[in-house]
Amino acid sequence: MNEVARQAADRAVAQLLGPGAVAWTTDACGNAFGWARLCSPASLAALAPLLAGAGARLMTVTAYRKDKFARLEGREISYHFDLDGVVLTVAVCLPEGPPRVPSITPWFQNADWNEREFAELYGIELEGHPNMRRLFVDPALDGGVLDRLVPLSAMMNGASTTTLWEKVFAGRELPAWAKAEAKGEPN
Amino acid sequence: MCAATTYTLPLGPLHVALEEPMYFDIRLEGETVRSVELTAGHVHRGMEALAMQRNYFQNITLTERVCSLCSNSHPATYCMAVENICGVPVPERARYLRVVADEVKRIASHLFNVGIMAHLTGFDSLFMHAMEVRELMQDAKEGVYGNRMNLGQCVIGGCRCDIGPEEAAFLRGQLELLKPRLDELYGVYERDPLIRARTRGIGLLPLEEARRHAVVGPVARASGVAYDVRRKAPYAAYPELDFEVQSDTGCDVHSRALLRLREAVESVKIILQCLDQMPAGPINTGDMPAIPAGEAVARSEAPRGELIYYLRSDGSDTPQRLKWRVPTYMNWEALQVMLQNCQVADIALIVNSIDPCISCTER
Repeated sequence: MNEVARQAADRAVAQLLGPGAVAWTTDACGNAFGWARLCSPASLAALAPLLAGAGARLMTVTAYRKDKFARLEGREISYHFDLDGVVLTVAVCLPEGPPRVPSITPWFQNADWNEREFAELYGIELEGHPNMRRLFVDPALDGGVLDRLVPLSAMMNGASTTTLWEKVFAGRELPAWAKAEAKGEPN
Repeated sequence: MCAATTYTLPLGPLHVALEEPMYFDIRLEGETVRSVELTAGHVHRGMEALAMQRNYFQNITLTERVCSLCSNSHPATYCMAVENICGVPVPERARYLRVVADEVKRIASHLFNVGIMAHLTGFDSLFMHAMEVRELMQDAKEGVYGNRMNLGQCVIGGCRCDIGPEEAAFLRGQLELLKPRLDELYGVYERDPLIRARTRGIGLLPLEEARRHAVVGPVARASGVAYDVRRKAPYAAYPELDFEVQSDTGCDVHSRALLRLREAVESVKIILQCLDQMPAGPINTGDMPAIPAGEAVARSEAPRGELIYYLRSDGSDTPQRLKWRVPTYMNWEALQVMLQNCQVADIALIVNSIDPCISCTER
């Protein structure tokens, strides 16, 4: 473990949240993983320059719902940083309706793609992002597909046609849901 | 000759010089590139959404299919993330077996990339030669694991396939055949006038730009950022293995290719050390462990650079969230620097020098 880098991460977070704000774990090889939590998105804009000053490199960003099937409200974004071999993950709680977070591109240029990706997959709004066009998903498609439950069966049946169900139910009455699906209605 | 004019050249998404679909809008002044805009998304398959609907065991198979050339790095890093959450110790022998699989794949991946580089310079006999040398590793994979691309080697808590005395002897034989051929290839790539003329001094990515874009892998190391996850945050059996992290200050297409060849030479040394040092014992923990609620990060050095997996578990049998970021994801934007002021004829060579993997990037 790189003790110097671990202390640098600790100091950067402590400037904003006070000492002891980072919980540390290690893996089987002794690599250090720090975990910190910010309760307001605004403090992310305060922490980002401190981490950039400590020499952190943004590795990636993960947005998620607290309940993956969106049965409960609550979204978070985890920012994963590297400080010369030490990983620091900062989780940011997002407010409800609409979820918004400041962009950290002024301090970490490579946040550009990461932020565009979670914006389009989770419908999260960004403040101050220089280039907010879609990254992977075509603009013609709905945004925020990972922000709601899309059952695997619906995902996999996306390309099926009425012909398929007519064959499956050959000689029998088509069930109501198959008829609704044929008309393109939600079931 | 008329005055230089500015116009836009669309390149891709399907183009003879691109192996996977990416779309570039290139603004040109005469034959010189002035700016580049990337449009991604042609192979976005929503794999992270799929991963959240499959159980932990099924996700080993899914992650192996993110990409072909680094197909072992994905399940290996995913399994490390799961093991980090459960606190399952991987048996000693399995730690070495994972390194062997990763390094065999690294050699094959790097030889593929430098081979394609020769093809893009028009030196097709060298391309075929590099691919023929690579075939030694393809045969090794087939002989040891039964497959030439997806090895299916990793399981949660260890490995699937042991390397017995017979397979070890075969693998050693392939590596002994590979060594002189790698040296010979290195000499050709280093000294051949055509390769040098086409690849030296182009696609420049100075150290400060490499840091600003936070590039990873051979692209970073050839620009002087000597960061290798195997050394900075060692995993599997790497802490016990002796190897040199390759770096260079050439910052161009040529130095990236030579660096990959040197890494392949190091990989041969690593595999031979593993075969010598591997202790006897079990290769996995047997049953699937229970996955408690929690979160974990795992990292590895894939052929293209740092690969990171983040796993969140809510205690059920499917991940609450599984996110991975591949090395190429970090390297695309740096192309805007590398392609600046280059000639149209060099675009494909420069793009190839980041060893792009689009199906990895878009998932």
